[in-house]
Amino acid sequence: MRKLLAVWAAKLASVAGRIVGKKSSSTPGVLALKICPNLISLLKKNITKGVIVTCGTNGKTTTNNLLNTALQKCGYKTICNNLGANMIGGIATTFAQACNIFGTFKADYAVLEIDEASARRVFKHIKPDYMLITNLFRDQLDRYGEIDITVDFLNEAIDMTDRVKLILNGDDPLTAQFGEGREAYYFGISEQVLPQVDETKEGRFCAKCGEEQEYNYFHYSQLGDYYCPHCGNKRPNIDFPATKVDLSESMKFSVDGREIDVNYRGFYNIYNILAVYSALNVMGIDTSNFNSVLSGYRPQIGRMELIPLGGKPCILNLAKNPAGFNQAIQTVLLDKRKKDVIVAINDLANDGRDVSWLWDVDFDKFSGANLSTLTTTGIRLYDISLRFKYSDMKIDNITSDMKSALKKCVDNPESEVCYVLVNYTALYPTQTTMLGLQKELGSNEIVALDKVGGERNVK
Amino acid sequence: MSNNTENNYEINIIHLYPDLLNLYGDKGNIACMQKRLEWRGIKANIHQCTNKDNDIDLKTADIIFVGGGSDREQEIVCGMLLEKKDEIKDYIEVGGVLVAVCGGYQLLGRYYQTAATKIEGLGILDIYTDAGDTRLIGNVVLESEMFSQPIVGFENHAGRTYIRDKHTPLGRVKYGNGNTGESGYEGVIYKNVIATYLHGPLLPKNPQLCDYILTCALKRKYPEFEGLTPLDNELENTANKYVANKYTKQI
Repeated sequence: MRKLLAVWAAKLASVAGRIVGKKSSSTPGVLALKICPNLISLLKKNITKGVIVTCGTNGKTTTNNLLNTALQKCGYKTICNNLGANMIGGIATTFAQACNIFGTFKADYAVLEIDEASARRVFKHIKPDYMLITNLFRDQLDRYGEIDITVDFLNEAIDMTDRVKLILNGDDPLTAQFGEGREAYYFGISEQVLPQVDETKEGRFCAKCGEEQEYNYFHYSQLGDYYCPHCGNKRPNIDFPATKVDLSESMKFSVDGREIDVNYRGFYNIYNILAVYSALNVMGIDTSNFNSVLSGYRPQIGRMELIPLGGKPCILNLAKNPAGFNQAIQTVLLDKRKKDVIVAINDLANDGRDVSWLWDVDFDKFSGANLSTLTTTGIRLYDISLRFKYSDMKIDNITSDMKSALKKCVDNPESEVCYVLVNYTALYPTQTTMLGLQKELGSNEIVALDKVGGERNVK
Repeated sequence: MSNNTENNYEINIIHLYPDLLNLYGDKGNIACMQKRLEWRGIKANIHQCTNKDNDIDLKTADIIFVGGGSDREQEIVCGMLLEKKDEIKDYIEVGGVLVAVCGGYQLLGRYYQTAATKIEGLGILDIYTDAGDTRLIGNVVLESEMFSQPIVGFENHAGRTYIRDKHTPLGRVKYGNGNTGESGYEGVIYKNVIATYLHGPLLPKNPQLCDYILTCALKRKYPEFEGLTPLDNELENTANKYVANKYTKQI
């Protein structure tokens, strides 16, 4: 009875939330758990085949949602927290939403992304059969303290499961360490792809002995073919290696002799796709239609999302931490067109209150990005402005008005494309502003298409 | 007003173990000192002293910077610095400029006591640190008699640092926790040592503090030095004021 009440309350709260225009999907679940604290464990028997959980600093939402799409394409019924609410409340919302009015549902798989610090709380209610960990980077340090604490949290969570199969990023020493003594399968990019630049490397020190480790090659941050000369710890044997990576046109790579070819941007998406491919294989799911799954999948908002404004391609991208921002900057650098760049930095609780990470991002590289104008905005607009000032970069516009900033870029005759890079809480308001402006300006057609790195997927 | 360019001034900044202690954008402090020297026509030589770089002669430094790291990395650094203890002590006692942040701050003290171990510090400052149960995290606003503008920054530390009488705190806490969460004070100033929990890009938002550090170094190296040429600090001051006003009523 409590269960039913809780489900109804959550459903009502979701409807109410939508009416007032709130996009948060954790509040209804929090309410449901107050009414029925064991709601999730009561509902989990409705899942017949298995539970797969995705954790990790970056790429969690993309990986989780792509995995969900793939399972659905294979004809499985799933429940999934695809809006990205990934703490216990969000998980409860997902379960309650799946229910009919009798408080029950039928699904083959639960596909859940879970916040690293919340996993040990969620696993008290539901234990995963499969657990995928994408990577661990410095993120929101003021919430987690330090990366070592995140490792402890995840170890604690994994120890709560029974016979979980782990799918791990073998290129990441911080992630690969979870496989030690457990049933684990590793994915990785097994060749040198990018120039070997120096940037923030969080896990350069051996996860085992603390000495500095070395690399045969590395991809970005601490990801790569690593080994520790001191204690012998090294990159594990990779079960799902990506090779023949080609980023010149679309994104191509091979795994298991199969060529993957997708119109995605950003090197990091190789990991996301590879992670999903590996998970499907470990779960025993047929992957013969994998390319068609990928081509049908639309990345969620703000992942290099193209929003044309008044005939100019504008690309919105979310980055939450140095690794994410450095990847976004690398993607911007690959686009040779004359461009406007807008950077929006907030410091609300979900962003992390501490903005010192801005100095760990290689923003200096924008100086080689063929910029027409540079705009800074967001709650901490002065901090990000100082970051640019101390890289000797000229800021053309410091403003708290995103709409006017966008308009200026759209009207700038010198630029061909506009990149809008935002952190977490700036994402939804920025997207709303962009879509509003799109309506206001009318035409969605992109007028000037460039040959080099031009956007081809015009709607 | 001096003409610094003509004087061919040159400042050597040694960044100790940036490969180990680099937790929160410490680069920002180095970049700030470097640019504020260069914008005035003073040459800034940055030496990144890594853990492989053991022969470094600290006497060549005009400014030494030590940043913050995770507990694990801090312990490694502590071991390496203990070997240089006398060298650092001599440097400080003759007025060498040293800026220490977070973990670097704790290292200068007598010890850092955690639940499990007692990490021996350099004992250069008469301070000691006990680990608390909670982390002290958040924006900080300080008031310091040395500067007309508040010092603003961000802290994130489990250690509670107790300072003895002979040291002056860097500032009085107007918002945030500071050294212990209770003492009402933050950081330490001793001779030309500035040690603080305010991490990462502290200096860009505190141009007066940065210029104070640079002035100390220049005066020590060039006795005839007359003072820094003013810079346009409008953006820096706005950033400072934004944090100060947000967390405290007008100071």
